[in-house]
Amino acid sequence: MLTELQRLLRVWTTVWTTVWIVAGATIALGQNPPSTQAPIRFSREILPLLSDSCFACHGPDEKARKGGLRLDTLTGARGSGKSGKIAVNAGSPDQSEILRRILSSDPDEVMPPPESGKSLKPEQVALLRRWVTQGAPWGRHWAFEPPQRPTIPVVPGVSHPIDALVRSTLASDGLQPAPEAARSTLIRRWSLDLTGLPPTPAEVDAFVADPSPQANERQVDRLLASPRFGERMAWEWMEAARYADSNGYQGDGERTMWPWRDWVTDAFNRNLPYDQFTLWQIAGDRLPGATDEQRLATGFLRNHAINGEGGRIAEENRIDYLFDQTETVATVWLGATFNCTRCHDHKFDPYTQKDYFGLMSFFNQTSVDGSGGNPRTPPLLPVLNRELRTRVDDAQRGLSHFIRDTEALEQKRFHPEAGQSLDQTPLAQDFSAAHREHLKVPAANRDAGRLQKMTTLWRDFDPEYVAVLERQRASRIHWDTVQSQIPQVMVMEDLPKPRTTHQLVRGSYENRGPEVLASLPGHLTPGHRVARPDRLELAQWLVSPTNPLPARVTVNRLWQQFFGVGLVKTSEDFGLQGERPSHPELLDWLAIEFVESGWDVKALVRSIVMSGTYRQSSQSSPENRERDPENRRLSRGPRFRMSSPMIRDMALASAGLLTERLGGTAVNPYQPPGVWEETTFGNKRYTQDHGEALYRRSLYVFWRRIIGPTLFFDVANRQTCTVKTPRTNVPLHALLTLNDTGYVEAARVLAQQVLASESRDSERLVQIFQKILGRRPRPAESQILLEGLRRHRATYAHQPELATQWIRTGEHPTPSSLNPVELAAWTVTTSTVLNLDEALTKE
Amino acid sequence: MSTAHDFLLRETRRQFLGRSGTGLGLAALSQLLGSGQAAAAPPAPTSPLQVRPHHPARAKHAIYLFQNGAPTHVDLFDYKPELLKRHGKPLPDSYIGGKRFSTMTGKADGKLMLAPVEPFRQHGQSGAWVSDFLPHTGRIADELCFVKSMHTDAVNHAPAISLMLSGAQIPGRPTLGAWLTYGLGSETDNLPAFAVMTSVSKGTSCGQIFYDFYWGSGFLPSRYQGVKFRGGNEPVLYLSNPAGLPSATRRSMLDDLGALNQLKFEAHGDPEIATRIAQYEMAFRMQTSVPELADLSKEPESVLALYGPSVREPGTFAYNCLMARRLIERGVRCVQVMHAGWDQHNSLTTELYTQCRDTDQPSAGLVIDLKQRGLLDETVVVWGGEFGRTPFIQGNLDDRKRWGRDHHPYAFTSWMAGGGVRPGISYGQTDDLGMNAVHNPVHVHDFQATLLHQMGIHHERLTYRFQGRDFRLTDVHGKVIREILQDS
Repeated sequence: MLTELQRLLRVWTTVWTTVWIVAGATIALGQNPPSTQAPIRFSREILPLLSDSCFACHGPDEKARKGGLRLDTLTGARGSGKSGKIAVNAGSPDQSEILRRILSSDPDEVMPPPESGKSLKPEQVALLRRWVTQGAPWGRHWAFEPPQRPTIPVVPGVSHPIDALVRSTLASDGLQPAPEAARSTLIRRWSLDLTGLPPTPAEVDAFVADPSPQANERQVDRLLASPRFGERMAWEWMEAARYADSNGYQGDGERTMWPWRDWVTDAFNRNLPYDQFTLWQIAGDRLPGATDEQRLATGFLRNHAINGEGGRIAEENRIDYLFDQTETVATVWLGATFNCTRCHDHKFDPYTQKDYFGLMSFFNQTSVDGSGGNPRTPPLLPVLNRELRTRVDDAQRGLSHFIRDTEALEQKRFHPEAGQSLDQTPLAQDFSAAHREHLKVPAANRDAGRLQKMTTLWRDFDPEYVAVLERQRASRIHWDTVQSQIPQVMVMEDLPKPRTTHQLVRGSYENRGPEVLASLPGHLTPGHRVARPDRLELAQWLVSPTNPLPARVTVNRLWQQFFGVGLVKTSEDFGLQGERPSHPELLDWLAIEFVESGWDVKALVRSIVMSGTYRQSSQSSPENRERDPENRRLSRGPRFRMSSPMIRDMALASAGLLTERLGGTAVNPYQPPGVWEETTFGNKRYTQDHGEALYRRSLYVFWRRIIGPTLFFDVANRQTCTVKTPRTNVPLHALLTLNDTGYVEAARVLAQQVLASESRDSERLVQIFQKILGRRPRPAESQILLEGLRRHRATYAHQPELATQWIRTGEHPTPSSLNPVELAAWTVTTSTVLNLDEALTKE
Repeated sequence: MSTAHDFLLRETRRQFLGRSGTGLGLAALSQLLGSGQAAAAPPAPTSPLQVRPHHPARAKHAIYLFQNGAPTHVDLFDYKPELLKRHGKPLPDSYIGGKRFSTMTGKADGKLMLAPVEPFRQHGQSGAWVSDFLPHTGRIADELCFVKSMHTDAVNHAPAISLMLSGAQIPGRPTLGAWLTYGLGSETDNLPAFAVMTSVSKGTSCGQIFYDFYWGSGFLPSRYQGVKFRGGNEPVLYLSNPAGLPSATRRSMLDDLGALNQLKFEAHGDPEIATRIAQYEMAFRMQTSVPELADLSKEPESVLALYGPSVREPGTFAYNCLMARRLIERGVRCVQVMHAGWDQHNSLTTELYTQCRDTDQPSAGLVIDLKQRGLLDETVVVWGGEFGRTPFIQGNLDDRKRWGRDHHPYAFTSWMAGGGVRPGISYGQTDDLGMNAVHNPVHVHDFQATLLHQMGIHHERLTYRFQGRDFRLTDVHGKVIREILQDS
């Protein structure tokens, strides 16, 4: 069987990697040829066409504009360029220069020009002609118009608005919705999506057996209430925030931004409304009476890489950081590709270069000057968790106690008069200037170095005083140590005097153009004036109901998280070159509901995952699959390979190894030796952790920005903001889950458990399936695996020394009571199950 | 079984064509195939140009011997008698003209000229000038095309390397190797199409780092990312079975895994499952083919000798050069061999000797070896760094042991060999001090356009749409340097 498979695989190898690209195909469904009478929808049909074919030379970018003609505004299109001929003559296609030039056969005249490599298809030309004939109606790009609450269509038997909006389009596409997924599938899907972890067998059993009509709600609410929810939601936010535990670049100093990461987890867990979530991260420090927590949130903006390379020009760095902050905010809240506007007006979207620097001005107000590579570049916020707080308080108490002892003794010895410092006392005059110099400093202000000098100076004169000083010194050293352990989070804080911002010619830091005042993107805020560069105003606009983008962009990212693809596939680009939403009404409905709920993230998530659309089986008829290969019409439930951090967490959880502690410093789990060392010529040495640190969730794994953890793949590179990561299937991924110590250890530990708890092979297999897949094996599966098990047993029985080696993979103890051959064989079998497509996939 | 196969082929082909037709990514294909051909096309390849390149390719493979840290052009390739004459004299103002240098130099005013450390001599029939630092390179001068008028935009290492390899200074764009494998696909099922190896001379004081974005795929799918081959027992991360797992057991386990996934595929129908089966099979093939790749026991002594004494030592530049040849022999599209330590701020008379010793013979040996095997015609070899070094001194003229040169983006030399590049020529010139590229200047993007051209790719037409824009390696620049090509 496998030989034939292998033969086929050879044929496939040029092909197989394409399959993942399914995420790239677009829908060819539901596009019946429109009648000539059908009214043209400008923003849907014409604007993308003009944008793609014309705007590069006749669009918003004034400098790139050819022939003085712009086609991105109504006035421009109805007017004429240098030629004096009307471009779009409403109602008269034959008198419209645009059509004449498109249809021209003269290579010097035809548009788009041949060297652009672009050309219009006959049906596109026909569309343009119909549009002009119909009077060339104008409108804005859909994403820049406020969301409209759609009328929920009446679909028999459907109550959830999401389902009504999805199903009403299915029929016209010739698609049937898939039936509801099996309960065991559904609870695994929910668990993975909402907590990033598989359900326990007990949880599956309880749900499968729950006859209550509220069973679904109960499951979803239980998962949403789990502290694991915040951890799961934090991952994508960390990727968007380009979070890392080191600076990046040469030096790559370690930073302590992890309290910000813990804040994110906590904010999701207590369901901080998304508008607050936004306000705090953009401008927490600017809120009236800002709390430490609100200031901590602004670490979001400081998560960018810091370049400490020798010889770097500080201002160049500083500008790079501002670019990064500007573009991150634009991507995350506006779905805007602002990097295009760094050097010139946007080629397709109505964002100008002035908009770019107007937005940048909000971030251009801190004391950061770009010099050096300090991973704790002020402004800083010391952050204490409860444990640290106790230690700091203890150290402070200890130090204060010994300072009081010193002070008491000094009173007794020197008898200072009121207002007199010790060095002025008569006794002090009997000692050297050095003695007096130290006495001048009040006891409470003496650091460890000074105390050391004092003990030396007084050694021969006053043993009792020396003893007191030494006790103070010891407690001061302890206090210093504790202080140094307080994480310092880089946060935002504006200088008292606003800094002026300049437009930079071609985005070059050394090429200053005119001064630019802080502003919000002009086309979204017509007539609006910003008085001063206050991030709070920016943040408020980002969550203002008048801003058409943030709610849509956010609900789309969440949809992408659960369905694998956003309703707008280009979740990073809601501009004219982005993809139009597959379900525009649904997107608007979600956005409006989100805002009206008070930006309630859990309510939004709940609504999505409770929908029948989400709950569908991922199985589908071949016909449906043929018509909807990418599931963009949502005719079945989501099924896609989990992200690599989720796969790791799944493996740890299935094996019962996962540490459930929330938050804290980052950890270094297993990693092949020498990876950091090779990259950094030995400057960074990887010290693997031990014990529970090996089994913490993936979000706590130390992220060295110049060389990320080797145990993840298809993840954001944490260099710049990333809101969509690829999903590929390359052999290296398979090698990782087959061979990495952590994965083998997880298989081995799970095998140990079933060997200890169950004596029958078939029942052991059932337990393994239940822990990893949340279901029982089918007979054919059991047969294959149990036959395999017999082979593995035979192998290890012949070579028991190999068995001993194999079961020592990983540091988790191996009970000596277990037969090594048995455990080795079962470890292979468990690893097989862990590597099943179904195990790696959220189905 | 055949159901799965047919289904996969059908799905894949349809999705592929559907996608290329929409212009989302593999945009070039439908255009290249023509619609009639597309309809009858066999299972579509994953890369847009695999079926038919933009123009006939002169080279099938590329090897980039990247010299990280910026080799000093005025000491190695760009012979300037005037620099000798002016040794110790200040740099004339007319050469400065508002240039920016790294903060280590600050302003170039009043800097003192520094003569080349070693003498130059002419080599071969071409009479190319090469410094005595590089005797082996000198010996193959007639095989090489020296581009002496390279210039770049960046003055610091990471941005300049990023520009050289990805066309942009900011990290995160796809690199040359990623573009090549995206555009041309792979010729091997057993090895990654884009391989990367790194080395550094022992005792080098440089602090440069091999950032993984030097071989990243940026917004291209991550399968086009370079795979790092390491020295030592495990050339690819996680390649080896853990201790105590015999290879036969791995095979037997993968058989079961394949059978179970096949059951799932038949029951469910998701083509992703068929992909998974293929993925695990290819992983197994890599497990067997990579150790074979690293087994040098069948290399004749005479071949090993070409690369110099450290060729047997995994992790050295010499070893990596030999591996580069072995990789392209096995169908790997692009090999990026990076060697760090060329950052001679204060080590022209010390560490530069080590750098040259470690790289000179292996680089020349690789070219000779490829030629002997008839592989040089189809392989383009590139040697060069991210910028040049200042013709004036960094440091104190009296302190010879600490002589150095600072970063210099305005002129540097790279060489190319094979792959249809004209051998035995020099192209472009700098001024008489080696400060500025004055004749036929070649910008980084021109160099990239030329490289792509030799691989059958029109640099303006290999694009990928990201964030609404069609990106390419050469950004919006680049001009093929036809004068250095055999077929122009």
